[in-house]
Amino acid sequence: MLHYLLKRLAAIVPTIFFVTIIIFGLQQLLPGDPAVILAGEDQDPNVIAYLQKKMHLDEPLPVRYGYWIAGVVHGDLGESLRIQQPVLGLIEEKLPVTLELAVIAMLIALVIGIPAGIVSAVGKDTVWDYAANVIALWGLSTPNFWLGILMILLFSVSLGWLPASGYVSPFEDLQANLAAMIMPAFVLGNAIAAVLMRHTRSAMLQVLNADYVRTARAKGLDERSVVLKHALRNALTPIITLGALEFGTLLSGAVLTEQVFSIPGFGKLIVDAVFNRDYAVVQGVVLFTSSVYIVLNLLADLAYFLVNPRLRG
Amino acid sequence: MTALLEVSGLRTSFKLESGGEFAAVDGISFSVEAGRTLGIVGESGCGKSVTSLSIMGLLPKGQGRIAAGSIRFEGRDLATLTPAEMRALRGNRMAMIFQEPMTSLNPAFTIGDQLIEGIRCHRDLSHADARAHAIEMLRRVRIPSPERRIDEYPHKLSGGMRQRVMIAMALSCEPRLLIADEPTTALDVTIQAQVLDLMRTLREETGTAIILITHDLGVIAELADEVVVMYSGLIVERANVERLFALPQHPYTIGLLGSIPQLHLVQDRLNAIEGQVPTPMTEIQGCRFAPRCPFAADRCLQAAPPLVDLGDGHSAACWRAPLEADAEIELVA
Repeated sequence: MLHYLLKRLAAIVPTIFFVTIIIFGLQQLLPGDPAVILAGEDQDPNVIAYLQKKMHLDEPLPVRYGYWIAGVVHGDLGESLRIQQPVLGLIEEKLPVTLELAVIAMLIALVIGIPAGIVSAVGKDTVWDYAANVIALWGLSTPNFWLGILMILLFSVSLGWLPASGYVSPFEDLQANLAAMIMPAFVLGNAIAAVLMRHTRSAMLQVLNADYVRTARAKGLDERSVVLKHALRNALTPIITLGALEFGTLLSGAVLTEQVFSIPGFGKLIVDAVFNRDYAVVQGVVLFTSSVYIVLNLLADLAYFLVNPRLRG
Repeated sequence: MTALLEVSGLRTSFKLESGGEFAAVDGISFSVEAGRTLGIVGESGCGKSVTSLSIMGLLPKGQGRIAAGSIRFEGRDLATLTPAEMRALRGNRMAMIFQEPMTSLNPAFTIGDQLIEGIRCHRDLSHADARAHAIEMLRRVRIPSPERRIDEYPHKLSGGMRQRVMIAMALSCEPRLLIADEPTTALDVTIQAQVLDLMRTLREETGTAIILITHDLGVIAELADEVVVMYSGLIVERANVERLFALPQHPYTIGLLGSIPQLHLVQDRLNAIEGQVPTPMTEIQGCRFAPRCPFAADRCLQAAPPLVDLGDGHSAACWRAPLEADAEIELVA
């Protein structure tokens, strides 16, 4: 177990190194010169040349990569060109918002998706199964922004129960914060719940036919323990992987949903940065979210040990 | 004295994809006395396992159902019991062990968890007492150092050890009836002998009646008192074990006996019964074995022979029974 953990941790370093190369390389493919964008409407060649020099844009690619990576190693992700703030500061500012949204959305997804998957597997080919599948199909095929707009129309405009947009810090006013978060979180969670439900259903169908489930029934256990203990525990592995990956996606920001509900999270930060060729911000945020992804993957693998004793050796 | 288990006219049907139903078990009757061992023998697909799942109430939901007949256990008709009453019997008064020890234990729980869970499901014991009982059961099935083994996960145990755990689990609440569905088929030959030996010893210690389901007549000879031979969902012959081996009456039984390798004979090939078991879906008028039977006559193709009593508790479903001695020799040679 310890050996495995060390091996996995050691593998993170080269993975992140490759990620930095990809992030940096892809960025160079973006058309447009940040110096030109920054120079404003006058396009003074002297200003442009000065800016290019300041940002090392006149130097060869590997050297520029070297400057960036040296900073990253020292915990310096650079500075935003546009708003003249350290990238790390921007991440610190947006992270709590995105994190809260992601956690609530994930909770909604888990609470809906897993029970729905279990019910539809246990009641395969019954009304419950069909209902769960129709709802999942709806969840999968509904665009987030559209569902978001419809919810705003219903709950904010027509019923006036919830604010249409805006963000309030939970430390200022928890109730207002939750009121602002619940709709975007539901929109995001709804789509993930559908995916989780489908996977839970198929994993459960597989284990419900397993010999050990028949053994559990032969012992005289009630259906509840057979399904929730003997079957679910074995069906969890694929669901954990999927949950971790979906959570990683949530943490990298929900561009459209944040836009619809005017939530100042990662999604909005990245989109603004890309449009403004704000290289340092794009690189910093993508590197951060990739690292989060990698760590979540590692955590998912570690969670396997909890549910699958065969891995403990 | 009434029998412990009485199955009469049992017909178990399964749904077909196309809509209809077919009978995997088509009207069989037998009984098991307390403390006795009944062997059910036949090829794959003859309905042996379906019979045992029908008794245990473990037919796959929505697919299989008992369409006719009755199963009486300890005098009670199982069809009239509620699901909760049935659960109270399962694992308690009647228990079952399965063919595949490698997959029959849950890989996510220790064998102790799985044993204790079954014990506490039927006995009002504290966790500590149930654990002590579980260790005792593991000792009884000859698992070395059970105090340590109880906390291991199934993947640490060999197939033979896992089957011992399954037997310990099945016997932990002292069932009156144990159904063993191909208990040794998945095991190595030496382990098979050990497990059979263990079952024999435990039967003597506990007085549990056993239904032993197998395709292996060698296993039947080791353990069974009486034998039922099944073919394509029907019972074709029933006798006590000595009589069945000495004077088989149904051509199918004779064929099965003929396919056992014999050390004193030099054989290039083992005798096999030509052809295959017809699936229960095939409509056969007359005797279901007739297409493969070397003795089949016109009469066999026209009407199915009933199971007739030949005396001494021996019965067979063949128009030619009782067979003349020379016909028997002709087939076995």
